[in-house]
Amino acid sequence: MGVRETQKLETRRKVLESARDLFNEIGYEETTIRAVAERAGVSVGSVFTTFASKADVLSQVMDDRVEHLYRELEHVAKHMRGSTADRLCSLFAIHYDFECRRVRLFLAHISASFSPTLDRNTIPFGRNSRFRGMIIDMLAEGVERGEICPMTDLELVLDTLMAAYAWNYRLAAAQGCDAATMTEIMDRQIALIFKGLKPH
Amino acid sequence: MNHIPMRMNAPAIRPQKMTRRAMAKQQTREKVLQAARDLFIERGYEGATIRDIARAAGMSTGAVFASFADKTELFDAILNDDFAGLLDPMQDAFSASTTAKEALVGMFGAAYRAHSAQLPLIQAALAASWTRTPEAERLRRESLRPIRSLVIQTLERGVERGELAAKFDQRLISDMLWDLYLAGYRPAAFEGLSVENQTDRLAERIEVILTAIKA
Repeated sequence: MGVRETQKLETRRKVLESARDLFNEIGYEETTIRAVAERAGVSVGSVFTTFASKADVLSQVMDDRVEHLYRELEHVAKHMRGSTADRLCSLFAIHYDFECRRVRLFLAHISASFSPTLDRNTIPFGRNSRFRGMIIDMLAEGVERGEICPMTDLELVLDTLMAAYAWNYRLAAAQGCDAATMTEIMDRQIALIFKGLKPH
Repeated sequence: MNHIPMRMNAPAIRPQKMTRRAMAKQQTREKVLQAARDLFIERGYEGATIRDIARAAGMSTGAVFASFADKTELFDAILNDDFAGLLDPMQDAFSASTTAKEALVGMFGAAYRAHSAQLPLIQAALAASWTRTPEAERLRRESLRPIRSLVIQTLERGVERGELAAKFDQRLISDMLWDLYLAGYRPAAFEGLSVENQTDRLAERIEVILTAIKA
């Protein structure tokens, strides 16, 4: 790899780390690119050669974070024990735990995903196909195991689960709830949804 | 026509005679809200400045700040008013329906229809909702209470009519239904769905929940 490319990667890494910390410490709106550049020890110009906008920075911060998580989850998922409902509970519990480590950052991410001025290139929250893929796989296995009615529209169940997962974060936003609280609620929501999925 | 739900037996309140000053303040507030609403729709939340809003309302920025601490507060006031206005059409949908699904789809569909001309505004409101102050959150919850209560009433009516199972966590279900409704705004905005499509999509997801609590 050329020196130029190495430097570019290093800049990217430093910017993402600084942005991640600043977004979490003082908030997304409050953080300027200048502040990020300063923390990262790079010039504002070099930030903009790698990133299109602040929103782009946020998007890539989140992508990098979950990349790591999902790689682990994909390995772990197949070892998860219990019913399909149990396994899904575990999956979401891990995700809540993960995001709550930097909750302010996550809230900025979910907030940005509703922004009407969203960039075409940014991957908004909820469209992460890798996580969705894991859930669909578990649901499909649930059908094979005879726990879920074969007529079920799995995509619909997925959407319903994802909506519940996402909007539970409003508890963190409004009441400062922790991962354990949100997980407890998600567990009940999953149990409820599964009541309706039983084969006849 | 005002449909006052049976539960909310509000005593007839005689409006106190407002002082001239109070009336003037109220009028200013209304003018600013209207101007702000139009500008937010036209230029989005970021694009509309307090200065522009003040000018459109025909007053000074000082006058605007006398009624609203900042743009966020102004924006929240518009949305709270908005939700208050939704109560009647949602109540109508509730009264006109027989099944729980009909009621919910009718009610939320009415909201989607009312908001279809101002999706960017709703998007901005949803974006802002994740970072709202506790006080703003309290005010928003207040303005939503009558509507959220309608959702609970729908579930209760479903149980009374033997359509829904007797024992389920009404609060949990009502929250999930509400969250599904809110979640329906984003695909509508990003994929340019029609109100019909948006409502149909919600109906499918509501069905997943209702299936779990059918009698």
